Amino acid sequence: MTILELPSPRLEEWRWADMATLKAAADAEPRDAGIRPADLFLDGDGPRLLFVDGVFEPAHSRPGPVKVARWAPETVHPLGGMAEGEGWVLSLEAEAAVTGIQIVHLGSGGESHVPARIALGEDAVATMVETYAGTGWANRFARFDLARGARLMRSVRLLQADGFVSLRDEAVIGEAASLVSIFLGAGGMGSRIDGALTLTGKGAFAEMGGALLTSGTQKQEAAVAVRHEAIEGTSRQLWRAVAANRSVASLAARVEVARGAQQTDGEQSLRGLLLERAATVNLKPELEIFADDVKCAHGATVGELDARALFYLQSRGIDEARAKALLTHAFVADALGRIGDDAVRAAFEADAARWLEAAL
Amino acid sequence: MLKIDNLRAEVDGKEILKGLSLDVNAGEVHAIMGPNGAGKSTLGYVLGGRPGYEPTGGSVTFAGEDLLEKSAHERAAAGLFLGFQYPVEIPGISNVQFLREALNAQRRGRGEGPLSGGEFLKLARAQADALGMDHEMLKRPVNVGFSGGEKKRNEMVQMGIIGPKLAILDETDSGLDIDALKAVGEGINRIMRAPDKAVLLITHYQRLLDYVQPDFVHVLAEGRIVRSGGPELAHELEREGYGAVAA
Repeated sequence: MTILELPSPRLEEWRWADMATLKAAADAEPRDAGIRPADLFLDGDGPRLLFVDGVFEPAHSRPGPVKVARWAPETVHPLGGMAEGEGWVLSLEAEAAVTGIQIVHLGSGGESHVPARIALGEDAVATMVETYAGTGWANRFARFDLARGARLMRSVRLLQADGFVSLRDEAVIGEAASLVSIFLGAGGMGSRIDGALTLTGKGAFAEMGGALLTSGTQKQEAAVAVRHEAIEGTSRQLWRAVAANRSVASLAARVEVARGAQQTDGEQSLRGLLLERAATVNLKPELEIFADDVKCAHGATVGELDARALFYLQSRGIDEARAKALLTHAFVADALGRIGDDAVRAAFEADAARWLEAAL
Repeated sequence: MLKIDNLRAEVDGKEILKGLSLDVNAGEVHAIMGPNGAGKSTLGYVLGGRPGYEPTGGSVTFAGEDLLEKSAHERAAAGLFLGFQYPVEIPGISNVQFLREALNAQRRGRGEGPLSGGEFLKLARAQADALGMDHEMLKRPVNVGFSGGEKKRNEMVQMGIIGPKLAILDETDSGLDIDALKAVGEGINRIMRAPDKAVLLITHYQRLLDYVQPDFVHVLAEGRIVRSGGPELAHELEREGYGAVAA
């Protein structure tokens, strides 16, 4: 990688991207992160894959139906296009179901690139959890193809101590198919969560959302575009950003409704919480609608913790730090509440609670 | 139990309490009445330790200790309960979670062990039953979507669970219909009428005092107590108005 290949912040879509941290992570010397891979998997007997610095580790893996393969993504996305090499493929026949897939990415420094391809046949079902830990620049590309009635629930947590995680999702969602991806950025790394979801079938459902928690001088960012091309589609983008110290959290969410995509139901909710005055939350909601019978709700707000609520909790005996943590946790709860699996949601909530303990 | 001596306090740089003195002993119920703007709510917030309500002079001792030195949560752990005129809605935190956190934080502050989930739930349900509050409301987010009366009942349920030494109840009767007023009044008597407890009722109207008989009534005007008396003073105020009595 050369710096010339990285997107320029002069481009509107990349104006909040922290390419300096990405570059530094890519150039960092490897170091032992001191993390046991086994600790990064949640309980469960589903398929497991461990990638260490982008290399598949069979010793800690039991891939089941997930295949490991080398390939190069076909995408014009500047970072996604770099994610070529050893990656993984999940291809399910019609009506097949695989739940509890876990993919863990552990980095020790330098850059690592892993492409993923997920193709679900008609009415196939999959659930998966992805975890990023360690350090370095983890660059990932994921391509999703969901046939009629297929359903994928995906939960992704970014827990790297430092470095940078860049994710690019590209999804095509067919008739009555459903893709839900919920992200939690609760590590010390910089991040760019980037998605382009296209609803091509009638009655498709697409959701991409989550919570970004930033502290110190960290910068995290999500940039998602959902495109409705067929009728009766539903999309949800519910993002929460919490910024402490002098950190920056940025959310750009876009909904496009193509001509003829009638009865689209789009909802976009972007909310930011500043824990200190020196922190920044950038929000950019965008709607582009070329159909006339659609419902697109959107809201974008940034604020501080409610001083009255803070005093109310304190007046009942809860100390200030704990009261702030409770209110902040409540602020992100509805985003993490979109995770359907109780155990996965509890694990993500615990990650968020650990972040709050450290930040407050 | 509570000794307020020549207390002065300001809000946004404006002096609201101008030398207020009051003694409340264990086993007593005191009512503080006064016109709007007299400083009634300010007194509650200053005693509760709300940021922005700054004491500028005088002293307050509670159970022998300097109250104003303590932060808000320490005052709660010491046994002070502030009932809010407008209880705050907190989306995303259930009543049960909030109250268990609060009670266990206070117990920790007193060097006691935490209550288990089961023990806590039993206590919470008993208090909800006593106040006529549906158990379902314990699971709902704190005060979210509650009516005015439900919020005040919830304050009393909290008070019952926490079991304070001194309750300062700010306009607890505002926004209540007659049934809720009765339930809240009975709640105050049941929870707080004891030889080792005391209540400071801050109120504009006499009607709550029909249910909670005060031992002493004080008139607060322009930031200080201008008159004190027995329960009959409340009736006199109701009959003749603050202007006549406080003059």
